Amino acid sequence: MIRTEHLTKIYRMGDTEVYALNDVNLEITEGEFVAVIGPSGSGKSTLLNMIGCLDTPTSGSVYIDNVNTATLNENQLAEIRRKKIGFIFQQFNLVHTLDAVENVALPLFFSGVRRDLRLKKAKELLESVGLGNRVHHKPAELSGGQQQRVAIARALSNDPEVVIADEPTGNVDSETGNTIMDVLQGLNKDGRTIIVVTHDPEIAARATRTQRMRDGKLLA
Amino acid sequence: MRDKVLMAYRSIQERRTRSILTILGIAVGIAAIVSLVSVGFGMEEAITGELTMFADLISVVPGKISGATYVEQGSFTDRDLKDLQRIAGIKDITAMTYDAAEVEFRSKRTPIFIFGGETEELGSFYVDPVGLKEGRWLRENDYKACVIGDRVANDFFDDPVHVNDKLIINGEKFIVIGVFNKASTLYAADVDPHIFLNLRAAKDVLQTDDVKYIMVRVYNIDDAEEIAEEVAETINDNHGIEDFATAITMGSALEQIGSVFSILRGVLVGIAAIALVVASIGIMNTMLMSVMERTHEIGVMKAIGAKSSDVLTLFLLESGIVSIVGGVVGCIIGVLLARIISLVASSALGIEFSAGVRVMVLLAGLVVAISVGMLSGFYPARKASRMSPVEAVRYE
Ligand SMILES: Nc1ncnc2c1ncn2[C@@H]1O[C@H](COP(=O)(O)OP(=O)(O)O)[C@@H](O)[C@H]1O
Ligand SMILES: [Mg+2]
Repeated sequence: MIRTEHLTKIYRMGDTEVYALNDVNLEITEGEFVAVIGPSGSGKSTLLNMIGCLDTPTSGSVYIDNVNTATLNENQLAEIRRKKIGFIFQQFNLVHTLDAVENVALPLFFSGVRRDLRLKKAKELLESVGLGNRVHHKPAELSGGQQQRVAIARALSNDPEVVIADEPTGNVDSETGNTIMDVLQGLNKDGRTIIVVTHDPEIAARATRTQRMRDGKLLA
Repeated sequence: MRDKVLMAYRSIQERRTRSILTILGIAVGIAAIVSLVSVGFGMEEAITGELTMFADLISVVPGKISGATYVEQGSFTDRDLKDLQRIAGIKDITAMTYDAAEVEFRSKRTPIFIFGGETEELGSFYVDPVGLKEGRWLRENDYKACVIGDRVANDFFDDPVHVNDKLIINGEKFIVIGVFNKASTLYAADVDPHIFLNLRAAKDVLQTDDVKYIMVRVYNIDDAEEIAEEVAETINDNHGIEDFATAITMGSALEQIGSVFSILRGVLVGIAAIALVVASIGIMNTMLMSVMERTHEIGVMKAIGAKSSDVLTLFLLESGIVSIVGGVVGCIIGVLLARIISLVASSALGIEFSAGVRVMVLLAGLVVAISVGMLSGFYPARKASRMSPVEAVRYE
C-alpha cells in the first residue's frame, strides 16, 4: 500500500544541514494501524508529510499503491491527496472564514461534487463525529477538540483509503484525545489504513504496530 | 463555475472589513484617474467651446500691429464699409467706434472706454455669451441709454452702479438700462471695463464720425484667412497706404491659444499618468497584502487536494469581483469628485465649465481596476499555489 525507499529529507540552514529524514525504508500494508513515536524533532512530521504528498523528498522515493510519487506531476499529486489520503493536522488547519459543514465539504468542492450533495454528505460526517448540532459554527466558535473533530470529518469526506494524523491529540484534552482515537480505531476496523504520530504511549498501544524514530532514522 | 463564483463571493463576504478596505483602495485610485481626466476634458471642451464661438470672426482695425504696439493710421470711411460688402463669403459687417470719455457718477469722475455699434450685432457678440445681470440690452432707438460692464458697475466708482442710475458721459446724461454679468476670462477685457452705446449715441457723445473698428463675420471658417487678406487689401487700396489696416482672424488667435492649450493638455496627461501609476501601486499593494496573508489558507486547500489551478481560479474570481466593485465605486466617486472640482474651479478661474465625463474614461477606469487588480491578486496567489502545501501551511 505505502512504501518508502531510502527516503531522505535535508533542510539546509545556512551552512548546516539537518537530516530530517535519513534513509527511511518503511512499508505499510493495507488495513494497518501504525503509530509513529519518537522525541520531538526526530522527523515524524516530515515522514508523514512525505507519505501524504504534501512535500517532496531530497532523495529516495515514496510509493503509493506501487506508484512512485516522484514520477507524478503537480495535478496527479493533488489527485492522490484528494482521493486516497485524508490528512489530519495537529493545528487543525480549518479555513476560518468557512463554517464547520463548509470546511468538511471543501475537499468535495475540489472534487467537483454538487453543492447540495456535498453539504449533505458533510453534514452526515459531522453527525458521525458528534457535531451534528454545530454544523454552522465557525472554527473560532468551536473548542479545540471540536475543531479537531471537524478536521477529521473533513479528512474523511472523500472516503480515503489512508488516514494520516500528525499528533491529532496534541492540542486537545485527554478525554477528547480518547474520543479521537476511538474514531481512528473505528476507521481502521472499517478497513482503512491509519498512520498516526503521537507522544502518548497509551494511544500508541491501541495501534496494530508501533514505529520508533530518532534523528530522522527509523528504529527497528 | 457558478459554484466557484459563489465560493469566491462567500470568501469576500466573510472577510467583510478586509474586502471593503481592498475595494476602497482600488476605488480611490480609480477615482483619482477618472476625476482628473474628466476635469481635463471638461476644461478642454470649455475653452475650445468659447473659442469656436469666435472662429468665424475677423477684426479689422485702422492701424498697424507690430509686436505689442499698435500705431493708429486714421479711421475707416463709409466707402470702406460699402466696398467690404462686395467681398464674397462675408455674412455681416459691423462698424464700431470706441474712444475714451470722461464719465461721472455721483460726483466721481473717471475716464472709461466707450463702445458704440449696431445694437443687434454688438449684442450677438457679447450679450449671448456673457449675459446681463440686470436690465436689458440696447435697442436701435435707445438714444440716451447705456449698458455697462461689471467693473464699471462695481469697481470704477465709489458706489455701485445699477439699472436706472444716471451716468454723465462727456457732459451728457445717460441712463443705465443694463448691467453685464462678470465676464469669463475670455471676455473680461472686452466687456468688464466698458460702457456700451448704440452707434448713433456713441458718435454724438464721442463727437466723431470715425469708425475705428470693424467686425466681419464669414460664412465659412476655412475661408476666414483669405477673406481677411482681401479685406485688408480693399481698405489699403481705398486709403492708398500699403499697411493702413490690419485684419486679424480669430483663427490665428485660436492658434496661439491652442499652443498654450496643448501645454495644458500635456500637463493633464502627465497628471493622469501619475494618477495611473499611483493608483496601480495602491491597488497592487492592497491586493498583494490581502492575498499574501492567505498563503496559509492556500496551503490548506492544496493539502486537502486542491489543484493549483483550482486555487488560482478561486483567487482570480475573488480579486476580479473585488476589482470590478472597486472600479465601479471608483468611477462613481470619480465622477462626483470631478463635478466638485469643476464647480470650485469654475468659480475660482471664472471659466464656465463642467467636467466632461466620458464613457471612454469610465471604461478605462474599469479596465485599469480589473487588469491591475486581477494581476496583482494573481501574482501572490500563483506564488502561494506553487509552494509545497507544507510550506504554505506553515506560512503565517
Ligand atoms: N521547514 C523546515 N526548515 C528547517 N528545518 C526543519 C523544517 N521542518 C523541519 N525541520 C527540522 O527537521 C527535523 C525534523 O522535524 P519534524 O519532522 O517536524 O520532527 P517531529 O515532527 O518529529 O517533531 C527537526 O530538526 C526540525 O528542526
Ligand atoms: Mg511534528
